[in-house]
Amino acid sequence: MMGATGEPILRVTALAKRFGGLNALGGVELSVAAGEFRAIIGPNGAGKSTFFNTITGLLRPDSGRVIFEGRDVAGSAPHLLVRQGMGRTFQITSVFADLTVLENLQVALLAHAGRNWSIWSRAKQLYTERAHELLNLVGLTGDAGLPAETLAHGDQKRLELAIALAGEPRLLLLDEPTAGMAAQERIESISLVHRVATQLGVACVFTEHDMAVVFAVADNISVLHQGRVLAEGSPAEVRASPLVRQVYLGESITAEGVAA
Amino acid sequence: MNRGVPIALGGALALAALPYAISDFWIFIAIEVLAFALYAVSFNVLLGYGGMLSFGHAAFFGIGAYAAALLVKKAGLSPGVAFALFPLAAMAAAALAAVVIGFFSVRRSGIYFGMLTFAFQMLLYTIALKAAGLTGGDDGITGLKPPGAFARPAVYYYFALAIIVPALYALYRLVSSPFGYTLRALRANPRRVQTIGVDVRSHQLAAFVISGAFAGLAGALFAMSSGNVFPGWLNWTASATPIVMAVLGGVSTFLGPALGAAVYVVLEVMISGRTEYWPLAMGVIILALVLLMPAGLTGLARGRHK
Repeated sequence: MMGATGEPILRVTALAKRFGGLNALGGVELSVAAGEFRAIIGPNGAGKSTFFNTITGLLRPDSGRVIFEGRDVAGSAPHLLVRQGMGRTFQITSVFADLTVLENLQVALLAHAGRNWSIWSRAKQLYTERAHELLNLVGLTGDAGLPAETLAHGDQKRLELAIALAGEPRLLLLDEPTAGMAAQERIESISLVHRVATQLGVACVFTEHDMAVVFAVADNISVLHQGRVLAEGSPAEVRASPLVRQVYLGESITAEGVAA
Repeated sequence: MNRGVPIALGGALALAALPYAISDFWIFIAIEVLAFALYAVSFNVLLGYGGMLSFGHAAFFGIGAYAAALLVKKAGLSPGVAFALFPLAAMAAAALAAVVIGFFSVRRSGIYFGMLTFAFQMLLYTIALKAAGLTGGDDGITGLKPPGAFARPAVYYYFALAIIVPALYALYRLVSSPFGYTLRALRANPRRVQTIGVDVRSHQLAAFVISGAFAGLAGALFAMSSGNVFPGWLNWTASATPIVMAVLGGVSTFLGPALGAAVYVVLEVMISGRTEYWPLAMGVIILALVLLMPAGLTGLARGRHK
């Protein structure tokens, strides 16, 4: 479907979630190939957050399947999904504020290695080399000793990406990765994610408001509307879709963003 | 590390020489300081490292004390055997209680976690008060006495020191370990810890049990020195003590709460010996502390070096 061969890394079928009378997700279908960069877009209230929280285990779906690498993981606890190779980042920057940058990564690497239960070895010297490699990868060389909270917002995003990568995910889920950034900063930030993910062969699914960001990096786009996938395809296909134009209320979608 | 070695050696020497320099009365006080230092540090593993404020930690201190007292008084063991076993028995009893209390309490966070620990503690307080056949009720259990030479204050001091110093070292290793790092990450951001693949609740429970076990050990060592244990040790007001000690010394350093315990105990002895207004003095001290030096005494000392 996406031009990639073999099994998709993530296949979501008939995913449904209701809140009271509201059909937040009404049977979402989605298939992401290994290494693919997939954007999820849609107007406010389309179900992007619910969809995201459901496939990352924060919400339990009412029905439907979330098949990751051939296994149905729907309803699994968030920490188990991460251990299986589904990394994630948050809309609101989420690092360990009063730990140093290095310690942030050490904690993530220790958890990934399953050593977070070790109560006697000294953590200070553990995984420092790998932590520095990750810092280099995201461009935070030299900040290792700083408390994470002292980093600028953009750098905290980089750190968050490095924390997610410490778990060696095969699929990375990014919830509004450029939220709260200035326009140029957004492209820079998503380009970094794109470059690093491509380098490591990690597939990415991300939700995004900014069309410029989406068109800059997405291999394919899924448009959510009223809890369903309204349209799907390459950026060019989605841009040309009359349905999508309708949803965005006559706004035209261009590479520069949604223009009124 | 290099700076730490001479400080540790100096501290060890000072602690070893202490009984030669002070009267029996002050040796009793020194034992109390050691026990409460362990209590405050174990409490702070939860608060300062794990970000979990327990309002019911006296439960574990009290259970450890009662377990030791019952072992000595009611288990029918010879005094020597009972004395050899009481530290481990106290830790085991407190750990067991912490498994049960923690199992429910870590399901909630923040103030609700605190309230659950508070509620369990009141339950235990009531049991200690009402199960008079076992606990002596309001009168508590009195007449505890270490056997033979251990009854001498200086000897018991060394006995307590030989347990408390390794216990503190074990807790230090714990907070410096991968588990300890994970605990610090938990305080900073529990949701994020989940998304590095860690089961948050089981980590919190483990920290709670370890902290409770060492608080129980502290309670038992203190009970054997003071010679008695009362239900009031389990009362909710008693749970304020480790909080004040930890904040007084500084929650962001490992030994800060131990320093806080020393200052608290010595001040209490000196002030309550002269006036009945110890609670007033403590209130003023807490006010001054929180308003003027929120990082505690150790924070003050570190600030001066900068």
